[in-house]
Amino acid sequence: MLPEIIFCTERLSTKGRRLEDKITSFEFKQCVSIVKSTGKKASHLRELRELISQSGDETIFHHTYQYFLKGHILEYTNDFAQWAGESLEERALAERLSNIDPYTFKAITDVKRELLRVIDDYLKNFPEPRDVLAGNEFYFNETITLIFPVGVKVKSLAEFLVALTHIDIASVYYHFYEARIRLGEGVDDFSRWIEVSLGRKRLAESIRMIDPFMHSIEKIRGHITEIVEKYVKADMEGVEA
Amino acid sequence: MINQYSGIAPKRDLLLIQKLCEKLKGKSFLHVSSTRTGGGVAEILNRMIPLLKTLGIHAQWKVIEGDLEFFNMTKKIHNAMQGNQEDFTEKMWQHYLAVNRSNAENINFNANAILIHDPQPAPMIKFKNQKSKSKNGIWMWRCHIDVANPVTSVWINLKKYIERYDLAIFSVAKFSKALPINEFIITPSIDPLSEKNRDLTGKEIEKIIEKFKIPRDKPIILQVSRFDKFKDQIGVIDAYRIVKKYNECRLILAGSPASDDPEGEAIFTQVSDYANNDPDIHILLLPPSSHKEINALQRVADVLLQKSLKEGFGLTVSEAMWKEKPVIGSAVGGIPLQIVHGVTGFIVYSIEGAAFRIRQVLNNPDMAKRMGQKGREYVKNNFLITRQIRDYLSVWYAEEHKGMYVMEL
Repeated sequence: MLPEIIFCTERLSTKGRRLEDKITSFEFKQCVSIVKSTGKKASHLRELRELISQSGDETIFHHTYQYFLKGHILEYTNDFAQWAGESLEERALAERLSNIDPYTFKAITDVKRELLRVIDDYLKNFPEPRDVLAGNEFYFNETITLIFPVGVKVKSLAEFLVALTHIDIASVYYHFYEARIRLGEGVDDFSRWIEVSLGRKRLAESIRMIDPFMHSIEKIRGHITEIVEKYVKADMEGVEA
Repeated sequence: MINQYSGIAPKRDLLLIQKLCEKLKGKSFLHVSSTRTGGGVAEILNRMIPLLKTLGIHAQWKVIEGDLEFFNMTKKIHNAMQGNQEDFTEKMWQHYLAVNRSNAENINFNANAILIHDPQPAPMIKFKNQKSKSKNGIWMWRCHIDVANPVTSVWINLKKYIERYDLAIFSVAKFSKALPINEFIITPSIDPLSEKNRDLTGKEIEKIIEKFKIPRDKPIILQVSRFDKFKDQIGVIDAYRIVKKYNECRLILAGSPASDDPEGEAIFTQVSDYANNDPDIHILLLPPSSHKEINALQRVADVLLQKSLKEGFGLTVSEAMWKEKPVIGSAVGGIPLQIVHGVTGFIVYSIEGAAFRIRQVLNNPDMAKRMGQKGREYVKNNFLITRQIRDYLSVWYAEEHKGMYVMEL
């Protein structure tokens, strides 16, 4: 699953064709998910808690990590929080669930444990929430993800910039969000390639400073483009970005 | 053929269709449905079958035949699956099975994947081994209708066939059931190249609007829906009357007669009477083939409504969004899946709510324009026919690699 990245210690500023040959190209891939229903649904908070506790990794993954695939930012940051806020109308619970950052956990089971802890804590301290109206139940789904190459490989920062501007947002999702699960510790494919293969640590760090929760995928693309453009311009002018 | 969608549909969908067809090349994909014309199922199959053939898949489409008794019975099943009480006799169920059996005798199920559409041919699975040479293909049942609250006895009767399939496909998660087989969710779609959705020239639009004698002097509110009590045209007129106190506007209620709905005519008369000869209300009863007319009406409207009380998926919402129009819809069926509240339109819960949002849209043309643009983009990413074809192929491929959740192509 890891992208093919060969560690390269030389910096891009060192000229020469031989070095360029050593730079591993970045291959843009993208992913598409198809939704599978588990056939299970919850109409009140205790039922939600029970079904979360029985859910497999794929279900938790879909409702938390893959929330960003929706392509637009809703009020909260995962499906459970969205349901608690919009259907149960328990805003405090929604805010607490929303504060769970799945990327800070080592395993999906840890995310599940945290979801249960927040719900248990809420059930202990707040009055029992009502059932939702019929039709507004929480439906437990999971996904099957298909990953495929886009047919675009880049070798330099300038090429990367051009490709990023035109690439499908499903590719941005794959390399910026999905990569975090593969690579861990808040690292995405873009910044990793830029750091490891191009040796541009400062630029990589700037990309890692982008808050993945606060933007739509399109905005993420915009932010990365802006940062990279600054560096490409500086390279062309021979100054430090 | 897939090139026709280049620049219209997302590149990722076209790319994935091609990749999956490369993987599935030379394999056969058989579809069985109950009609070759009319309705969303026929629309997608008419496009999908030739497209898959050009990409190396042996795609075939068989349509079952039946007598009037059979189709009356399956219409009842259709209604009961959507929650309406219907009377059934044992004889009717036997006839339903017998028609399926005789159709199965004429269909060669020797395919790698078999997709059976809707309840009419659902019992086909029972006869899959009727032909000695049948491959052990993947059997999929695709349910296109709203089965959130089916009549239990009818669902139990159908379920015994559905459970024999390898997997079932529903349009919305809330239609899925507790079944012992895999269940996938594939939302319906619109065809951007069809007569109902293709780009129209200004001349084409003008000609149609002139035909209907609709002056273009005021903002236009439009609801496209058949005359059926669940589409709530009366509620739409009430909302229009509230808006009218504040804003000049016209209301168009356009729809086709529902031949299978005896209440349709009564509802049309009721709506016409309720409009009370208001010259700014235009009630258009259109023949079912009026796709171009609907297209033109959607393009001249300023705001689209879908104020249904009950809805299957409500693809008219996506049709309007594709034409860059803000849409105001009720929180029923598949409507909330299509409208992103405050982004591509508004979800409303009452007549008053609908009126308030119409006023908001009419008084904020910049916002309306922004919503329209976002709406088209949203449909492009989620509700085009290419995405549905991509999903069918993905489900087939996923089932061939059962148990894998991440697959690299």
